[in-house]
Amino acid sequence: MKYELHLTHLYGNLLNTYSDIGNILTLQYYAKQMDTHITPEVVSLDQQFDPNSTDLVLFGGGQDLEQKVVSDDIQAKKDAIIRYIEADGPMLAVCGGYQLLGEYYVGADGTKIKGIHALDHRTETQENNRFIGDIKIKNAETGQIYHGFENHNGMTFLGKGERPLGQVIEGHGNNGQDGTEGAIHKNTFCTYFHGPVLARNGELAKRLLITALKRKYPDADLSAAEALEIKPTY
Amino acid sequence: MTLRSSLAAFAGKSSYRFLHDVLHRGGTSFPGGLALKIDPAVLTTLAKNYEVIIITGTNGKTLTTNLTVKALRPAFPHILTNPSGSNMMQGIVTAFLTNRKTKNGKQLAVIETDEANVPLISQYVSPKAYVFTNLFRDQLDRYGEIYTTYNKILKGVRMHPDALIIANGDAPIFNSVDLPNKIVYYGFADQPDEIQDAPANTDGLLCPQCHHILRYKELVYGNLGKYFCPHCDFHRPVLTYQVTAITNQTPQSSTFMINDHEINLHIGGTYNIYNALAAYAVAREMGVSPEEIIHQLSADDKKVFGRQEVIHLDDKDVTLILVKNPVGLDQVLQMIKTDNEPFSLAVLLNANYADGIDTSWIWDGRFEDLPFERIPSVLTGGERYRDITFRLRVAGVPEEHFAHKENLKDVVAAIKQMPTKHVYVLATYTAVLQLRALLASEGYINGEMK
Repeated sequence: MKYELHLTHLYGNLLNTYSDIGNILTLQYYAKQMDTHITPEVVSLDQQFDPNSTDLVLFGGGQDLEQKVVSDDIQAKKDAIIRYIEADGPMLAVCGGYQLLGEYYVGADGTKIKGIHALDHRTETQENNRFIGDIKIKNAETGQIYHGFENHNGMTFLGKGERPLGQVIEGHGNNGQDGTEGAIHKNTFCTYFHGPVLARNGELAKRLLITALKRKYPDADLSAAEALEIKPTY
Repeated sequence: MTLRSSLAAFAGKSSYRFLHDVLHRGGTSFPGGLALKIDPAVLTTLAKNYEVIIITGTNGKTLTTNLTVKALRPAFPHILTNPSGSNMMQGIVTAFLTNRKTKNGKQLAVIETDEANVPLISQYVSPKAYVFTNLFRDQLDRYGEIYTTYNKILKGVRMHPDALIIANGDAPIFNSVDLPNKIVYYGFADQPDEIQDAPANTDGLLCPQCHHILRYKELVYGNLGKYFCPHCDFHRPVLTYQVTAITNQTPQSSTFMINDHEINLHIGGTYNIYNALAAYAVAREMGVSPEEIIHQLSADDKKVFGRQEVIHLDDKDVTLILVKNPVGLDQVLQMIKTDNEPFSLAVLLNANYADGIDTSWIWDGRFEDLPFERIPSVLTGGERYRDITFRLRVAGVPEEHFAHKENLKDVVAAIKQMPTKHVYVLATYTAVLQLRALLASEGYINGEMK
């Protein structure tokens, strides 16, 4: 194929509880239609994250124990990940990955677990409750509607330098209070959506792919890829 | 027996007789519920003269329970067991209430138990043994995480340090907590050692001792296998009962060796070999001879294998298979792949409460591995047909062989038109119920759920 994107699946062998593999398969499906080959690679415990050799990052969610272990390990990757994000590297972070990009999150048992503070949000816990169910949001810039399924105890509050992925139309979103869902900072997209998020929302997959391609191939004519029609899947 | 518990037992039994003999209803949980209302501890009284074996785990409980009863039967002709699906407190109490007691001495009860109900049941009975089949991610919106589930089970087990534990040794989680109980393990030892990693979307790969990623010398599926931690001394325990060879697998049968005895199991799927192995382990621990067990497990038995039924739909042999969680789905896909003939495939997805309302698990089944060149027709259906349609499109189903029907009536009509004799229908729980009801109304099966 004409283009090649190297995808880093951060902690893919630990944070994979919500079928994050579906996001990779979906990216590969649309990438193929853009004449693009995606090579996924898991970067996990005790391994280095190299911001210069990756074109796309996926960061999923997992169980409490796994996320705690990742919280300890990821501090060693913190600077490299922040450098990647600030250099406009495209990233998708879901659930636990979303929380770990923030300042901290509070686990279901009340302990505060450190994030890497790449983005300015923080996540509190709610007692004996989870936000569970179908969710629908609208992205302010594009007007696109995104569909997903949320299942989280955490209540995330956005900080400076980030805007929501969308405004909640149905469901709970970040915290059930302020009507926001997810976060965007530069080319980093965060969400609580399962579904998986890209399978239900092909437009978002396309946006990530186009961003990655433009960044890696600044001189290429990507008009054909940009013209790709995304059919509804949900 | 206290007055209260006799009254409870009497009320429960009477209500069962009324439901069963007068109204001709099954009555699987109501009598138990009534008895429990009168005396919450009624199970202690009811189970007094039984040796109880509790079988629990995410996948395979029902078949493991059925196979265990079968394997034990030569030595224990009267075994109490609970019907599939009645694996919570009320259903279990009903099973004890309605069992006809024999006069002579202790009886045996083999009880399929929902994971979350293990502590409750353990409060009222003293099990002789617990059997742990596996713990996989299962409908997270309902059950939560696997460590939480295991802790629940252990809360029950800790009340009974004298109970024997018979556990799947290939599952790292069952070796993660030191217990005072005697534990015997079963597992697979049919491949030469070859160091490997589990695929990235596998759950439960953290070493419970040092929190590094487990590796494998033999990987069966999911996180099951001959695991070891490259950073500490955590590794699979010694197996007392092991599958030493698998000689043949088709979607309808498996031939394999347990401790060098050949078994010919009349149901396909590697996961069912685990279920038979668990049954073998329990029966051996209860003193049944290997020869008797093998004879029992190798016999064909439509009643036991009902979960995977073949329905004759005009000239089609339709195998209807329940799918409910990622590992189970993936194992079913691996199994139907072993069909040597061309076949058609229908996948029916609902997302009601009993199915799990989050459909994202369909992405963890490796549909990509299916031999689409031998599958001339693929159909998606059910209330969430859009989700499963996109899943299969991504997996590479050619558009010209691909159809979608939301309505199950249209699904049945389309299946009748499929170009192959063999048809596999994979369906979630409520889709199975709806499909069976529809087929019953059209006279293809009788209406009773097996």
